[in-house]
Amino acid sequence: MSSSLVWYIREFARAEWIKKFLFAKTAPLVTPTHFRGFPEPTGKTCTHALFCMMACPAPGAIEVVHAGDGWMPKIHKGHCIRCGLCVEVCPNGVLKSGRIRETMGREGTSLLFSFRIAIDKDLCTGCGNCCTACPVNKQADAQMGAGGHSSNDDVIMRVQEGDIVVIHEDKCTGCKTCEVSCPNGAIRIARILEGYQQPVQEGLQ
Amino acid sequence: MNILQRIKNTVRSRSIHVAYVDVGSCNGCDIEVLACLAPRYDIEQYGIYVHNNPREADVLLVIGAYTPGWEEKLAMVWEKIPAPKAAITIGNCPISGCLFDRKGSFVDPPVKKHIPIAAEVPGCPPRPTEILQAIMSVRDSVFANWEEEHP
Repeated sequence: MSSSLVWYIREFARAEWIKKFLFAKTAPLVTPTHFRGFPEPTGKTCTHALFCMMACPAPGAIEVVHAGDGWMPKIHKGHCIRCGLCVEVCPNGVLKSGRIRETMGREGTSLLFSFRIAIDKDLCTGCGNCCTACPVNKQADAQMGAGGHSSNDDVIMRVQEGDIVVIHEDKCTGCKTCEVSCPNGAIRIARILEGYQQPVQEGLQ
Repeated sequence: MNILQRIKNTVRSRSIHVAYVDVGSCNGCDIEVLACLAPRYDIEQYGIYVHNNPREADVLLVIGAYTPGWEEKLAMVWEKIPAPKAAITIGNCPISGCLFDRKGSFVDPPVKKHIPIAAEVPGCPPRPTEILQAIMSVRDSVFANWEEEHP
């Protein structure tokens, strides 16, 4: 009788079972490697291209700040929605998050920026402040005066006969200096971000 | 600290009842909290129970960007929770308002302004593991040594 009781306890109250019952936790509460967490620095040098700030859809989530000698993007948790666009758009690969960079390399995808200059003709007075403020204009035509007149065809925009004319929209870098300098709020710069995939050569896939 | 206090501390940190309120979110974080209950993340194995009654709760999970409808009610909910208590905000909305804090919207983040917050979990939405970690850290910092700090 006693031996059967011992057998019974040993069979049904095994030490490892009791230990498992008391201490086992469900498995691995670890973050999988493919999870896009908050972007982290890869250690490459930031060149202050500011593409990350331009691509970021969440207001105030990323900021490029001084770090020692150079620049470094700073992620503000609580604002960042972990979409990974900053990782994808950076030309120097400063940030990493999940396996976004590996996927981009494998599939040959990238993001292209372009900017559209929208001018409200009703509000625009043709003062030329935007043309003189524009840093790209300044490089193309250093002689441009206060009225925004220019005989140079390389400028982004210039004033012709009292009206603003946009010549090279594609040269815009999206700095929005013109928006700030406009007294009427007539000029707006829209950012257009489009995905691009390099065509895969035949025979490779 | 006597034996009774030790027992109280242990029991309090091993059995945490959670109440959650959604003060105006998009429902994404609610679903992540729901995922904590499901077998994959299973918060009950840590002794954390979702028990949506503030009078019986220890931890209040606040989700959302604080819409005007909650102006007096959230503080009322917070006051109903008995003494060893902590509030945790889940997601970006209670911290910054994220997508909802735009020009012309009536939300009033951060929630920190309205009730005292012990922990904030950023992310849009945060992972269930991050929510779980926040509750566990609050457990260690608030409930595990409550008796020494409040003799």
